[in-house]
Amino acid sequence: MARGTRTSLEVSVRAGARIYTGAMLVFLIVPVLVVLPLSFTSGQLLVFPLPGWSLQWYEDFFTNPIWTNALRNSVWIGVVVTALATTLGTAAAIGLHGCKARWAGAVMALLVMPLAIPVVIVAVATFYFFAALGLVGTYAGIVLAHTVLALPFVVVTVSATLQGFDPNLVRAAASLGASPFLAFRTVTLPIIAPGVVSGALFAFVTSFDELVVAIFLSSPQQRTLPRQIFSGVSENISPTITAAAVVLLVVSVALMGIMELLRRRSEKLKMAGGQTT
Amino acid sequence: MLALMAPSVVFVCFLFALPIVLFLFRAIDNAEIPEALPRTTAAIAEWREGELPPEPVYAALVSDLAALRGTPQLALLARRLNYAIPGFRGVVTRTGRLLPQSMPESPKAALIAIDATWADPAAWGVLRQQSGKVTDFYLLSALDLKRDPSGSVVDVDRDHAIFVDLYGRTLTVSIGVTLLCVAIGYPVAAVMAQATPAAANWLLMAILVPFWTSLLVRSTAWVILLQNEGLVNKTLIWLGAIDAPLALVFNRTGVYIAMVHVLLPYMILPLYSVMKGISPSHLRAAASLGASPVRVFFTVYLPLTMPGVAAGATLVFVSAVGFYVTPALVGGPRDQMIGYFIAYFTNSAVNWGLASALGAFLLVLVAATYLVLGKLVGFERLKVR
Amino acid sequence: MFRKPAVGIALAVAFMGAAAQAQQTVTIVNQGGAPAEAQRVAVFEPFSRETGIRVVVDTYNQELARLRSQIETKNLIWDVVSLNPINEAAGCEEGLLEKIDWKSMVDPRPFAAVGGFGECGAPYLISPGVMVYDADRISADRAPKSWTDFWDVAKFPGKRGLLYQPDQMLEVALIADGVLPPDVPKALTAPGGVDRAFRKLAEIKPHVRWWRSGDESMQLIMTGEVEMGYGWQGRVNAANAANKRNLKIVWPAGYVNAIIYLGVMKGTPRKADAIKLIQYNLAANTLARYAEIMGLPPANADTYPLLSESKRADLPGQYLDRGMMQGGQLYINFWLDNGDAIRQRFATFVAQ
Repeated sequence: MARGTRTSLEVSVRAGARIYTGAMLVFLIVPVLVVLPLSFTSGQLLVFPLPGWSLQWYEDFFTNPIWTNALRNSVWIGVVVTALATTLGTAAAIGLHGCKARWAGAVMALLVMPLAIPVVIVAVATFYFFAALGLVGTYAGIVLAHTVLALPFVVVTVSATLQGFDPNLVRAAASLGASPFLAFRTVTLPIIAPGVVSGALFAFVTSFDELVVAIFLSSPQQRTLPRQIFSGVSENISPTITAAAVVLLVVSVALMGIMELLRRRSEKLKMAGGQTT
Repeated sequence: MLALMAPSVVFVCFLFALPIVLFLFRAIDNAEIPEALPRTTAAIAEWREGELPPEPVYAALVSDLAALRGTPQLALLARRLNYAIPGFRGVVTRTGRLLPQSMPESPKAALIAIDATWADPAAWGVLRQQSGKVTDFYLLSALDLKRDPSGSVVDVDRDHAIFVDLYGRTLTVSIGVTLLCVAIGYPVAAVMAQATPAAANWLLMAILVPFWTSLLVRSTAWVILLQNEGLVNKTLIWLGAIDAPLALVFNRTGVYIAMVHVLLPYMILPLYSVMKGISPSHLRAAASLGASPVRVFFTVYLPLTMPGVAAGATLVFVSAVGFYVTPALVGGPRDQMIGYFIAYFTNSAVNWGLASALGAFLLVLVAATYLVLGKLVGFERLKVR
Repeated sequence: MFRKPAVGIALAVAFMGAAAQAQQTVTIVNQGGAPAEAQRVAVFEPFSRETGIRVVVDTYNQELARLRSQIETKNLIWDVVSLNPINEAAGCEEGLLEKIDWKSMVDPRPFAAVGGFGECGAPYLISPGVMVYDADRISADRAPKSWTDFWDVAKFPGKRGLLYQPDQMLEVALIADGVLPPDVPKALTAPGGVDRAFRKLAEIKPHVRWWRSGDESMQLIMTGEVEMGYGWQGRVNAANAANKRNLKIVWPAGYVNAIIYLGVMKGTPRKADAIKLIQYNLAANTLARYAEIMGLPPANADTYPLLSESKRADLPGQYLDRGMMQGGQLYINFWLDNGDAIRQRFATFVAQ
């Protein structure tokens, strides 16, 4: 008898927990989805219900030089940042992996530090520093600052894929007469490729979504998409910002989705590898 | 191996560590004043407070200001002194403008004739305090403190006291957001951990999509949802729950809602990974020994999940104290946190010393949190995935 | 092996920077929103077509500090700046703007009515700051008629939108406190005038939604976030035109007139092009194109005969005596000397 009541209590607790979880998921998802319908409004105001449907804001986004310029800037800056951060970060991760010295931990901590410090401090400190170097309001300035923020992601993801990797393999290749570059290309790279790719995607999204550094370092010519949306939210309010937001959303979710797939695949591979050894 | 690490290390040292160190140094740097007023700062060191400085100090000021006339440095100096003595900008620029072309017979009388402030010993006292190469002025200002003309530390007047409130507000909001995230995230993570793999995957997607979405987009979305004619108010009115729209945005409520939304994944994801690692047989064993579900939860499950709670709470709290964009978009003027004021004093008010002092306090807060909580839970847990 | 791509990337970065600077451009900063869009269409685009100089537009909310930071760090981002009268004077005195002898380049006679050229800036339009409400929400019989009504939250409940900036707001507070608009400069600069204005603002502070940009001010009224607000006439016209709304300006309540100037950033290497752009902007037919879109009073008197009948009707002609002009030696010097202290006090006042 007592047992029966306990189960019914348990059942209702479980049901309650599920409803609660469902409600919380709605809370998490709805704000992300709410910009979608608004970007197709035929009205001028960001309110529901929509007076009608229209593609005018997408047309504005893809034809107005302010927005096309912002999109081009974001893509370009993102690509250069990705190349820089991936090169630097992969090298550092391989170096760290092969290094058993005690200070290697300190190097790792230094490289991921930019993630641990509030971004507003990083941005303001970089602004003062770059102002003295004449790098404020230049593409180089934003690229360098974004690379600092993107680098930790590459280091962390590549390090993670290197975890099961035996450095003796490279030594073996070298002893067989392979140049370091050949050894890297034929031995190391195939193994760490998933980590490098997700690190690169992470680096791109970091730059592509970044706002605070862009607020401080960009002049109107280097305006990135987030920076232009930010300005649009406060200064030049028009539904075009929702169209821009949808573009931003689609790009980051798509890239992160690819990364998640990669991560799962490499996890499966790792598990499979673990079982055979 | 060293050669592989070196580029990154040099890169991060030069473009990250060095700027931060220089930024912190600005909080005590005072080179502006001795550089602009070399003769005055040298002459004034001899003077003891109580009465007006002797003629040579006035003469030094006249020649310093004459040298600055027509250069941007005069405006710079005027602004810098205005921080310490409100209204001093006008005094300095006016004096610079009206200064006689050649050294007057009595520099003291000439300066006092231009502006009566030069006959105020208190103003000279402040000027003397500001004449060193380093200063505690900004750090004190950032704590709503100042030095009175005699040099002792006192509270600033109420009309200018703003920062102690600001730290209190930043802490209140950050702790509030952290607690809300724990309260909301814990059950969600628990349900996820016990769901079938397929269901857990879907739930994970629902958490990861907002996690990957730009913070800017999410904050903007909340403005749209929560405004007077927003979806939330319209729905509540349609349901008959309220008659007039609730004020949900551009106030503290909006800040809490949007910040919890942005930071909730940082709570759920580490919790979920800890909870997934708890073997169900553990719980079954406790239950089979006759423990009630409530008892099992409090004596077995909760202690086992505490590391996840602590790791999530650290991540949420440390991110929250540094927030800038979200409160700027969804909060009102009285809901802004330290990050906003750092940006404000950098971009809109150009008081870089004060921005640096605020930044230093924020960094101390973040570092202390990491140290305390990091020791508690282990640093390696402090990552989301 | 990792260095080579890095070198290539560094070159690419350098190239991108160089490419961006190679084009002949002038960067102008104004207050954004509908007036900026109108300026783009009526001024910048035809200017670019005629001269081949590209015009890049940035937005600010009259924060003079943003000019200071560019000058002090020697990172010039802007070339031409749109300025309110106080910033024109302050920027000029602080050496943030080039001193330019406009009289030698532009016929000064049509500008005499707005006080002529400044030492640094050239006036191009007048921007009245007014009380505005949504006539579709508030019927005429329940509408506010004066700033006293605006302050009366018992009779007219609801939030108020006010500008997050002391200049204009202290003036409005004094009008609400019973000062006649033309007497506001005298009342504000009198001893205790600032305290009086702050006391008046404190009465309404709990009911205020502070806005920072012109677009925000209209958005607040159109979405019902505030019942009534302070706003700029040009934004009201633009909001009505773009959204087919019925926002009403309460001219008889009194309003704050600001002459808006264009100035050149000190030390810009593009000074000649900047001046060329400003000269183009000041021409009567350029300003007429602009006024047809925005319905703002132009500073160049030669523009008026070029305007259509309906646009002239939009201008506050019959309420000239209800306007307070932000100008005159007394008023400008007062803000030069006390502006910083007042702005600091205002920021604390709002945040407390």
